[in-house]
Amino acid sequence: MRDMLSQLLVEAAAADDRFIVLSGDHGYALFDGLRAGYGSQFVNVGVAEQNMIGVAAGLAKVGFRPCVYGLAAFVPIRVLEQIKLDLCHAKAPVILLGDGAGLVYSTLGVSHQCGEDVACLRPLPAIAIYSPCDKFELQACWAEARRADHPSYIRIGKADRPTVHDAAIADTEPQWTNRRDAHNHERLIVAAGSMTSISTAIARTHGVPCLSVPRIKPLPPSLMAAVQSHRQTIVVEEHARAGGLFSALAEELASAESLSGRPHLAHLGLSGQFTSTAGSHEHALSEHGLDDAAVNRSLTAWITARPGQMS
Amino acid sequence: MTPQCHRPGAVFDPKDLRRHILRMAFHGQSVHVACAFSLVEICSVLYSQFLRFDPMNAVSPDRDFLILSKGHGVMALYACFREIGWLTDSDLDAYFRNGTHLRGLCEADVPGCEVTSGSLGHGLPIATGIAFGLRRLGIDRRVYCIVGDGEMNEGPMWESLLFAAHQKLANLTVIVDANRYQAMGRTEEVLGLEPLPAKFEAFGFATKECDGHDPKALARCLSDLLANGSRPGALVARTTKGHGVSFMEDDNRWHYTRLTEHDYSRALKELS
Repeated sequence: MRDMLSQLLVEAAAADDRFIVLSGDHGYALFDGLRAGYGSQFVNVGVAEQNMIGVAAGLAKVGFRPCVYGLAAFVPIRVLEQIKLDLCHAKAPVILLGDGAGLVYSTLGVSHQCGEDVACLRPLPAIAIYSPCDKFELQACWAEARRADHPSYIRIGKADRPTVHDAAIADTEPQWTNRRDAHNHERLIVAAGSMTSISTAIARTHGVPCLSVPRIKPLPPSLMAAVQSHRQTIVVEEHARAGGLFSALAEELASAESLSGRPHLAHLGLSGQFTSTAGSHEHALSEHGLDDAAVNRSLTAWITARPGQMS
Repeated sequence: MTPQCHRPGAVFDPKDLRRHILRMAFHGQSVHVACAFSLVEICSVLYSQFLRFDPMNAVSPDRDFLILSKGHGVMALYACFREIGWLTDSDLDAYFRNGTHLRGLCEADVPGCEVTSGSLGHGLPIATGIAFGLRRLGIDRRVYCIVGDGEMNEGPMWESLLFAAHQKLANLTVIVDANRYQAMGRTEEVLGLEPLPAKFEAFGFATKECDGHDPKALARCLSDLLANGSRPGALVARTTKGHGVSFMEDDNRWHYTRLTEHDYSRALKELS
């Protein structure tokens, strides 16, 4: 996967002189090709990650298409507020590459490990989140992020896992990695990133369908459909339970109609968008359907709805 | 583009700007009056003599950039926008009304505001990125960034200074609104910053220092910095929080206090 990443950077630099890669003194050999061929489009900004995100935002403001590289422990974790304000609020088309996500830096210890990056980014408006499992998924995620008019985060986990797909894939929709050979259709394995190859291998052994999920946000509706058409699903990811792919699916599932026709668990809260205007606290709440009148309407509807009426 | 105003007489008179600020603060019952007052002359000089902008279009593609990193002074920007015509008196009177667009800190979606700041330490890194990008493009547009002395507590500010100096961003001018106060007390008592000009020098900036309420001194220093070859510029503007209204000057309560009708008319009287 790292060779593919290196190649994608070189191709982007060749195709677009507005493409520029910023690194916070990380990456070493990953950038050999880029530096050799397009050295001026690589900038080591030093060990100063917060400034790096601001610089990327400023570059985007004058027409560049920056790609910011860091270890996931630092990009996005260390610079979360810069991502929220400088990139997400400005809808800056910046690609964030979080390398070594999960426990890749096992020997270096906790400072370089990262099992919470997806959880930290998911609530932020405007950002897309990808977790490719191999070079083909990386290629598809990269192509989508390059076309986007908003920030994207690509989570790069353990890069030397076996390649899962046989050939390039068309998009970042969930990909079946075991379906044809599956005979046990009661159960479904959903996997992301570094956990996909092992999950697929085991799924094949047991004849269980397996779905790889390269794009975590926005969560693909087809993933929900697949989960709902199986009696049991397990999510496998190198990420904490809170806030990762499991959490994203659990939230969607809780909101969807249960077998009884009523959601078991419903949510009334902030919309996931930034507030867009000034005004009183009640006014700000109204942008999210949380002002007293709206809460009254929603709760009353929830309390009085007959089974099957409310989603 | 040369600096211009679409209305004859819109000269960014500091007294007018302070009246606009008071008008907004009173109608919106906003805090941060003193934070805006300390950078009025800085904004006045920049808009009247240095910034190239299109009075008909706050986001014209060949404008110079003014980045207010110290978002707490945003009412001074709004006051300039009112002088230019990007905002109207009705906008000022509607400050903080439900559904309006002017917030109490700088937000990127207000044309002219450029960045979301107020969480401190964000504007300067973005300004640095803009300057870096413009330099790469070979475009002669300048970036001015107003920061607070209290804001210099923030780590990313110093990261940015290192980067700007290392990259020799001569198209960047940092102006410190050094009003000697931050939210909870005297800047020197909270987290000592001085000697600030020497620190900028040591970081590789061409540095000037002046009375931040003296338009001639500000203009002279800014001109000198522009003439300075290859280094980014820094101007430490020595200001007074609340400057312009006697009972607000150097009184940190006006970081937080809302205007009563009585104080509003007293303040206006001093500015008439």
